[in-house]
Amino acid sequence: MPLRPSLSAVLTVLGVLLQAAPAPAAELLPSTPAPTAKDWASLASLPDWSGTWVPDMRDQGLQETSNPPPWTPSVAAEMRQAEAEEASGAPRGLFINCLPEGMPSWMLISHNAMEILFTPGQVTLLGESDGNRLRRIYTDGRPHPADPDPSFHGHSIGHWEGDTLVVDTVAILPETFIALSESVGAPNDGDMHIVERIHLAGPGVLHDDLEITAPHALSRTWKTTRVFLRHRLVRDAISEGVCLQGLFAESKDKAGHAVFIPVPQDSGGNVAPKGQ
Amino acid sequence: MTRLAISGVALATLALLSAGPAGAHHSFAMFDPTKVVVLDGAVKEFSWTNPHVSIRIMVKPKAGGEPELWTVELTSPGNLTRAGWTRTTLKPGDAAEVSIHPLRNGEHGGGFVKLKTASGQIFVGGSPGPQQGVS
Repeated sequence: MPLRPSLSAVLTVLGVLLQAAPAPAAELLPSTPAPTAKDWASLASLPDWSGTWVPDMRDQGLQETSNPPPWTPSVAAEMRQAEAEEASGAPRGLFINCLPEGMPSWMLISHNAMEILFTPGQVTLLGESDGNRLRRIYTDGRPHPADPDPSFHGHSIGHWEGDTLVVDTVAILPETFIALSESVGAPNDGDMHIVERIHLAGPGVLHDDLEITAPHALSRTWKTTRVFLRHRLVRDAISEGVCLQGLFAESKDKAGHAVFIPVPQDSGGNVAPKGQ
Repeated sequence: MTRLAISGVALATLALLSAGPAGAHHSFAMFDPTKVVVLDGAVKEFSWTNPHVSIRIMVKPKAGGEPELWTVELTSPGNLTRAGWTRTTLKPGDAAEVSIHPLRNGEHGGGFVKLKTASGQIFVGGSPGPQQGVS
């Protein structure tokens, strides 16, 4: 009679094998504890950053010309070329691929609004455009990870000094631009470190004081400030902004389904006037 | 009356109302900010889409001839909403007067400056300044 192990015997053996493997020590993995009522109540003592924050475009323009980044000499030469191309009407398209502006360009050059959420242990910035404009700033006392995955917005930890949120950001992708406009800016090329002090500077006015250290693009730490203005109308709330949607038009397929079809763009990234 | 009027110099009042460079998607430097073209015609399409809203408008040339299609790029739906627009501000067939900074390359396109609707309403674009009375 052939040996046919019973199902229960197989399961028993499998069980032994699985037990033999070292089980993950769940208690050793970092976890976020459930917030307590006290944690939620403590949010009430934070400053009021509610509403919709719209970048002050006038000040943004002034900052770009009065306090430009201290580029390294080689990057400065590239930026002069980029500025000449922009002035001639042939701008480089830093963001026409619809990848996120990321850090620090979101703070520096965005024309779109953001909102700021406080929850226990975290401040969250949400923005329009890019399709995924999101910053998480951990305020629960955790350090940066030892080897964080680089991302467009980096890894941010923060703490409150009075009514000022001090934010420390590392692990930003080297390809992410330090931008002065949609067509003038340089990749940070890695090892960028950003410290921000975000605070109310007056009624309905939020300042982000940035200190940007980018040793491969800047000759020294660049200090600059960007201003955001509060709006409270319901219509002012941030809206969905899927950048890639602009590359498509609404149409119908052969089966009558609603589908997106590509639309032509010119080299500058605007809707091509030709072939309409 | 349909007309296509080109001003060789920047109009200060229109410059103040200009949307300027808009959105994250692309620069507006391909448009000439020193010129303003007024497109008076019939809307063919109003595309309420990120990252840039666009207007396609049929314009009868001042010199005569068949209407020509022009494409106008604006800022994002979010920014336009904050400036009082909705996705139904324009509809195909609407008469409209659209002021633009034209493409430098001479093609029939431009960056949005101002809209005057058939009923005389004026719309501008761009990020708003401070909201009065909000602290």
